Amino acid sequence: MGLKDKVMIPENEFLITEESIHGGALSCRGCGWTLLARYVSNVMGPETVYVVPACCFSIIAGPNPMNLLKGTVVHTVFAAAAATATGVRRALDRQGKIDANVVVLAGDGGTFDIGLQALSGAAARQENIIFICNNNAAYMNTGVQSSTGTPVGARTTTDPQGKKLPAKNLMGIIEAHHIPYSATASPAFLTDFKTKLQKARDATGFRFLMVDGPCPPGHKHDPDRSIELARLAVETNYFPLFETENGRFNITYTPNVKTPVSEYMKHQGRFSNVMREKSGNGLETIQHQVDQNWEHLLNKQTSN
Amino acid sequence: MLQFDTTEIEKTPRADLLTRHTKKVLKGNSAAAIAAKLSRVSLVTAYPITPQTSIIEEIADMISKGEFDAEIVNMESEHSVFAALIGASLTGERVFTATSGQGLFYAHEVLHAIAHMRLPVVACNVGRPSFPWNIWADQTDSISQRDTGWVQFYCESSQEVLDTVIQSYRLAEKHKLPVMVVLDAFYMSHTSENVYIPDQKMVDEFCPPREKTDDQINLKHPKAFGGLVGPDIYDKYNRLHWESICKVEKETNQLGHEFDEAFGRKYAAVEAVNINEKTKKILVTMSSITTTARQVVSRHPEVGLLKIRLFRPFPKESVLKVLDTVSDDCLIINIDRNFPGETEGAMMQEMKRALHGVPNKIFGVFAGLGGRDVSSKTIENILEVDFRAPGAEQVIWVT
Repeated sequence: MGLKDKVMIPENEFLITEESIHGGALSCRGCGWTLLARYVSNVMGPETVYVVPACCFSIIAGPNPMNLLKGTVVHTVFAAAAATATGVRRALDRQGKIDANVVVLAGDGGTFDIGLQALSGAAARQENIIFICNNNAAYMNTGVQSSTGTPVGARTTTDPQGKKLPAKNLMGIIEAHHIPYSATASPAFLTDFKTKLQKARDATGFRFLMVDGPCPPGHKHDPDRSIELARLAVETNYFPLFETENGRFNITYTPNVKTPVSEYMKHQGRFSNVMREKSGNGLETIQHQVDQNWEHLLNKQTSN
Repeated sequence: MLQFDTTEIEKTPRADLLTRHTKKVLKGNSAAAIAAKLSRVSLVTAYPITPQTSIIEEIADMISKGEFDAEIVNMESEHSVFAALIGASLTGERVFTATSGQGLFYAHEVLHAIAHMRLPVVACNVGRPSFPWNIWADQTDSISQRDTGWVQFYCESSQEVLDTVIQSYRLAEKHKLPVMVVLDAFYMSHTSENVYIPDQKMVDEFCPPREKTDDQINLKHPKAFGGLVGPDIYDKYNRLHWESICKVEKETNQLGHEFDEAFGRKYAAVEAVNINEKTKKILVTMSSITTTARQVVSRHPEVGLLKIRLFRPFPKESVLKVLDTVSDDCLIINIDRNFPGETEGAMMQEMKRALHGVPNKIFGVFAGLGGRDVSSKTIENILEVDFRAPGAEQVIWVT
């Protein structure tokens, strides 16, 4: 049975009411970033200041003085996007522009690793900003080096045999800051994505979204499979969709059919070492971890 | 160039302006905090570090009492302190912060970003060194930032800190350059002395609100700031930055003159004391060592004093003008309270550069590092060194 026959459920409900990006984005084919920028900017509107630390989007947004977005973009240092956003927010508030959105667009390096201190600081201060991480699970802009968002088994240029340890539980860290809204989202589940963007936009305080970021050159798959794989990531529970709204945890999508993670992994060159292993232990361990994590989420939802 | 009396350090305002000042006994840190308030700073980011901390504490206190109309944000690091200023300054606010030593080192990459994004940030640095742990007076922290594109002033007194912060906003906003106002740890930050605080109206007239310009965030006219700049035009940005830097020395002198007219206290890029054709030795100093040197120089008619107030960009023309009158055999002795990992201290390097082709011999002294007291005796010891003796070193360490 083909991949598409099994799980593809086309979803076109994310209606772009107003195109808020210009053409000519400098992304690779099949990149999640440009799609994310389209959806985010459509929901946020033009009176939004986007703060961008070093990441793929620094390039995609266009060289100076070009601007992919029909909103204000502030490029800033890698480690401190949430701090620069804090400065913009406080200044706008002082000027009475409290309705303008301030949105960080960061990669996983600028979120999980070098940006974590500033992120935690801003979250703890309940800064009235939205932090969106396009999680493509490695330093893709510099050529696929491991980050602490890189999953176990994934090959990168700094873990050529595959990463030995699982990714950091960033959503757990974020949740520990008791912010009004945090969620995961996927470019393959657009209604869910749009709802979450709207919830994030309409809440006040620090808001966080982690969006699965397909990356054909980094994940080593065909560009035309990006959305298909993003969907499989959710269908296999590899990238579950959930949100925490004012402390209430909610799984926003439950797959109808249990699909093994190998269905998601086998189409990506980054997992070729795991898939090639004859004993299958690596794959079994990953499946076990995914199952355990899903159980944990289900329990969490029950205990709400 | 300004020639002052040897002992003129209190900088009393002109008699006609005295009633428009309040005389208080203030620490250098208090002067910095009050200067931020008088300059109508609207946003301050803060992170504690000894010996700067009381600056942000006093600002927080004034804001909480409603005496200072500004936003203060307690950040989680100095890196974020300066990164937040990028956002706030770009949005058009007049911003301020203060740090010291490790904090300034930690913020280094952001200092570059602020300068090269041409943001008029003014920050105080209470100078202290790096490892092993030391919290006392030393200029190695700010000297290490001299290539970041910031303007640097080194102050001698609490009064000068207050006045320099006010002047710095004028300079910063006119030329779109960040300015660092440096004061010595403890000798200035925690030492109290007389300060004349000008009334708010005087400061408002001298330093009007920051203008709205089209290189600030405007939600109605979105644009991108700080995006990638390729080799074809990167140098043009640097050239524009350089053109502004080239104006700073003259602008500092002009601002010092205007400040004198408005407040009755003189300032310039450098200050010369007792320098003339009979001068045999000139001590070159920055910050609080200058005050001690003034006392010593007053006892030695043949010794002059050159105080460097503007260090970055180095005021080459002002220095040359001061030395124009001295004889060729007059010795130039630089006192460096910094160790930049070089055979010579930072000021000696800069002076050698400025005096290239000038016949006078230049010597360097490392003194007062890590807070070691540079007393009158230390300065006397420096003057007793026979730099002309055969085999004398060009650079020495004194205690």
